[in-house]
Amino acid sequence: MSDGKYFSTTKRGEIHELKEELRSLDRPKKKDAVKKVIAAMTVGKDVSMLFPDVVNCMQTDDLELKKLVYLYLINYAKTQPDLAIMAVNTFVKDSQDPNPLIRALAVRTMGCIRVDKITEYLCDPLQRCLKDDDPYVRKTAAVCVAKLYDINPELVEDRGFLDMLREMLSDANPMVVANALAALQEIQELAGPGGKDLLQMSTQTLNKLLAALNECTEWGQVFILDSLAAYDTRDPKDAEKIAERVLPRLQHVNSAVVLSAVKVILRCMDVVALGPSGGEDTIKAWSKKMAPPLVTLLAAEPEVQYVALRNINLIVQRRPAVLANEVKVFFCKYNDPLYVKMEKLEIMIRLASDKNIDQVLLELKEYAQEVDVDFVRKAVRAIGRCAVALEKATERCINVLLELIQTKVSYVVQEAIIVIKDIFRRYPNQYESIIATLCDNLDSLDEPEAKSSMVWIIGEYAERIDNADELLEAFLETFPEETSMVQLQLLTATVKLFLKKPTESAQKMISAVLSCATTETDNPDLRDRAYIYWRLLSTDPEAAKDVVLAEKPVIADDSSSLDPSLLEALVSRYLATVAAVYHRPPETFVSRQRLAVTRADELGARKFEEEDGSVPGAMVSDNNAAAAAGAAAAAAASSVGDLLDMSDPTPMPAAPVAAAAVAPAAPRGLDDLLGGLGSLDMGGGAPPAASTSASADPFAALSGPAPATSLSGGGAAPVAGAGMSPAALSQLPTLLANPGGVSVQGRLVRQAGQIVYQLALRNDTMAPVDGLMIQTNRNSFGLGPASQVLAIPTPGGAVPPGSVAAVRVPLLIDVSKVTPPPLSTGLQVALRTTQVGVLYFNDAVPLSALTEETGSMEAADFLAAWKALPPEASARLPLAVPSADVAKQRLAAANLFVLAHRQVPATGQDAIYATCRITAGGVGQVLLELKFVAGAGGVDVSVKAERQDVAQLVFDGLPSVLLGAA
Amino acid sequence: MGLWISKLWSLFGDQEARILVLGLDNAGKTTILYRLQVGEVVSTIPTIGFNVETVTYKNIKFQVWDLGGQTSIRPYWRCYFPCTQAIIYVVDSTDTDRIGISRDEFKALLDEEELRDSLILVFANKQDLPNALSDAQIAEGLGLHDIKNRDWAIFKTSAVKGEGLFEGLDWLSNTLKTRRK
Repeated sequence: MSDGKYFSTTKRGEIHELKEELRSLDRPKKKDAVKKVIAAMTVGKDVSMLFPDVVNCMQTDDLELKKLVYLYLINYAKTQPDLAIMAVNTFVKDSQDPNPLIRALAVRTMGCIRVDKITEYLCDPLQRCLKDDDPYVRKTAAVCVAKLYDINPELVEDRGFLDMLREMLSDANPMVVANALAALQEIQELAGPGGKDLLQMSTQTLNKLLAALNECTEWGQVFILDSLAAYDTRDPKDAEKIAERVLPRLQHVNSAVVLSAVKVILRCMDVVALGPSGGEDTIKAWSKKMAPPLVTLLAAEPEVQYVALRNINLIVQRRPAVLANEVKVFFCKYNDPLYVKMEKLEIMIRLASDKNIDQVLLELKEYAQEVDVDFVRKAVRAIGRCAVALEKATERCINVLLELIQTKVSYVVQEAIIVIKDIFRRYPNQYESIIATLCDNLDSLDEPEAKSSMVWIIGEYAERIDNADELLEAFLETFPEETSMVQLQLLTATVKLFLKKPTESAQKMISAVLSCATTETDNPDLRDRAYIYWRLLSTDPEAAKDVVLAEKPVIADDSSSLDPSLLEALVSRYLATVAAVYHRPPETFVSRQRLAVTRADELGARKFEEEDGSVPGAMVSDNNAAAAAGAAAAAAASSVGDLLDMSDPTPMPAAPVAAAAVAPAAPRGLDDLLGGLGSLDMGGGAPPAASTSASADPFAALSGPAPATSLSGGGAAPVAGAGMSPAALSQLPTLLANPGGVSVQGRLVRQAGQIVYQLALRNDTMAPVDGLMIQTNRNSFGLGPASQVLAIPTPGGAVPPGSVAAVRVPLLIDVSKVTPPPLSTGLQVALRTTQVGVLYFNDAVPLSALTEETGSMEAADFLAAWKALPPEASARLPLAVPSADVAKQRLAAANLFVLAHRQVPATGQDAIYATCRITAGGVGQVLLELKFVAGAGGVDVSVKAERQDVAQLVFDGLPSVLLGAA
Repeated sequence: MGLWISKLWSLFGDQEARILVLGLDNAGKTTILYRLQVGEVVSTIPTIGFNVETVTYKNIKFQVWDLGGQTSIRPYWRCYFPCTQAIIYVVDSTDTDRIGISRDEFKALLDEEELRDSLILVFANKQDLPNALSDAQIAEGLGLHDIKNRDWAIFKTSAVKGEGLFEGLDWLSNTLKTRRK
């Protein structure tokens, strides 16, 4: 019986019917219903409303049914994060099932459900499964740790899962070793460059990995090989040991394994080369063994060939010796796809040597007569590049080129002329005899590059070409219509001609060209160059000669060569990855933005960033535009009131030009903010003057050239402390990370009864940044800066390039600017600079900044108030408090006054009663009850206040208070 | 006619009943469930979610749903209300502090439209512990005597010792059988 029938029902009222069937006590009927639900899900119908009913089918001994329900859960848990908790108990039970398949399935599914509320419950089953007797369960659990890390890194570190993973590297089962390794690599990557080195390998783990290498699956082998390539050793003996075990992997059928093995061996070669003897023999032997597997890769389908060729390109650049004798392999076949041919050509050029150049040239000549224009062009260029690279073969190359020119095929001739120009640059005064042949083909030139090459040749060798003036004149006829490239070349060539052969006709030509280039063109480059020549010629012709006819440096073939440091990185780290195909480091095309997770408390994650400083802008978007868009979206969503606010009587002069530049990205919700800044702009002083005075300042000059380091690195010189040490500066949470621009770190704190924004601005641009002003959007507390101009303690108020400036911005509470309920801790801030425009970022007002120093009350009053106030809101915060005393201390530090503390005998919990007062936003007195078991996870919090929307504020704010982050 | 036959049939064959075990956290719901099902005391952890087991007793197949009692889970009890024949409400007789909360939750259940027809069976659990409240005190605390128009009963139980549980089930099965007739 086929399962197709489940897809065929499209009745109305289907959902209701399904609900009934799911509740049925009849097993087959129930299973059928779940199958129908899954079918609906697969075709994209929303069946999320059946969540509770499907979850109720979860406890069953029917493995098939269980798998279906798990599948459903993975899909819909995110849409029903609250209800997902109902599945937890079943997961916990399943993770203890006698059947290892079910145990593994449970732990895997739990890892796939990215709901923050249930991750806490995932830990115990996960811990058990990491120590499971069955290797399949262990390996599944290892991967699950990496998934959990992505959702809640703190939890993973607190529970010691990382250490457990590291221990698993010495597991008896190779699959487990490979998966633990893969998980660690993933976590390392998630932690970013600032994270700890998780993969520090001892000799012992190295041996374990080498032993596991032979026995695990192909993809497991890739993971092991990757970590071997990353293994940092300077000991040639180590390297030899590794290579010895890895060399057999070269025979593997999986090309990923082969390439990863190649990567490891290349790395080992580097290490061996450091040895006393230079390891020449070893390297030679290894190279010999590496060549055949690489050649074999080219027998695969074209797509794999292409990937292999891109990698081989890198290998050949790094170690040409490996494939020096294999150039024939890279000769193009007639039926190769173009992209493969192009790559092969590239490698042929790299492998061309005095030994094989004849063969290569013969091939290239063949290619130059094919039909595919792009390929032909590339072949002709290849000949030129061979000529430039191999001095001894130049003559032969030129002969081939001349033969090709005889074919009179337009694009071949033009391409040949372009490369001959390069040959002339490389070997001046050797092959000029062929100019005559070139001149015969002037008529066929119609492409700018070929034309300008030819014009350059004529100008450069004007004295040897008898009719140079005639030739140039012919070109000049069409001067106004030419592209700027040709125009520039014509201008220079005419000047050269005039300086070399100052005949009458040349003089006529030069005046015509100069006047045309200066008066009839709107190309500033051309005009300026013409003026320079003109002035040179009119003031001092001898100097003009010295300048225009100066000796030119000899060129080398460096086209399509990679920067040595990039090449090194690509070969030793990224070989066999997409980066090696792109020839670009991964950070240029992959953004490390973490997947959004439904989080109960974002603060937890933010705290992690503070401590670690390693996740660049995971919560706060890491670039300007995204931040602006985010702020705009938030503003648009949250504040209809702000739209009305545009009629605010604040004068709005026509100043917001800079603001208008960002306006397209920031729709109307932010307008009042922008308007505010715009009007500020008028009173903001004279930015240009400020910038000059800043550069004149000796301190600014000193701190100016400080190298750009990462924001968290703290390598930059802080301009001034504003009462903060550099260490304190680096601990501020990142609000806006903008490498290459202006980045902002900061935190709202309470100091002496006043709310203060501690900000650190980092300038990674090349110029000082000044004219700094700050404004906040309307918020729940009516918070706004006391002064919009940032008082940066340098002359002119500028942040020199490459440094960090710290500022204190006192905030005032303006009751008239309070947004209507509900209460939100969100604070949208705009920072204006003269140089980089307006920057937006979102921050959250921490609870500890709002609570007042005088917010305590009598215990008796507390009791009375507790009874009088409306029912409390309660929540369980996923935190662990080490002890009641620590909790009290931390609460007191945040102006949450502890009034009473007692033990609850029944539950063994500590109960703490505390209060605080928040005038901002009209919150008033807040009463809290905290119940927790010291050291265990979970704090039950109940909140009472006059206003009902206060609870969320406290729930959001308490974690950082209790963790002592504030 | 068909209805009549099925009713008649049920006199001889197995009946099925859907039962919810509810109550505050740490009342002993899961322990009761497994005591009924496997007849022994299993070690339990707080139920974050639910357990469901089938218990056959006196020709009645009870599908027993044990739902977690944590504050965070109580709001989801209502997902389980439809088609419920009986509720076993478990009270920790030693938790004098929270008897008030327990009463509030209990009252809320009674007000549920979907549970209008379900039987109410209260277990005053943990009677084996000293200073446990008596069943009368629990009945008082929950306000059981204010209940009009529905069948209810309260039993002193100890899940650990296995006392009182099957007496409760006896009452349940008898009441269910009389109701079906």
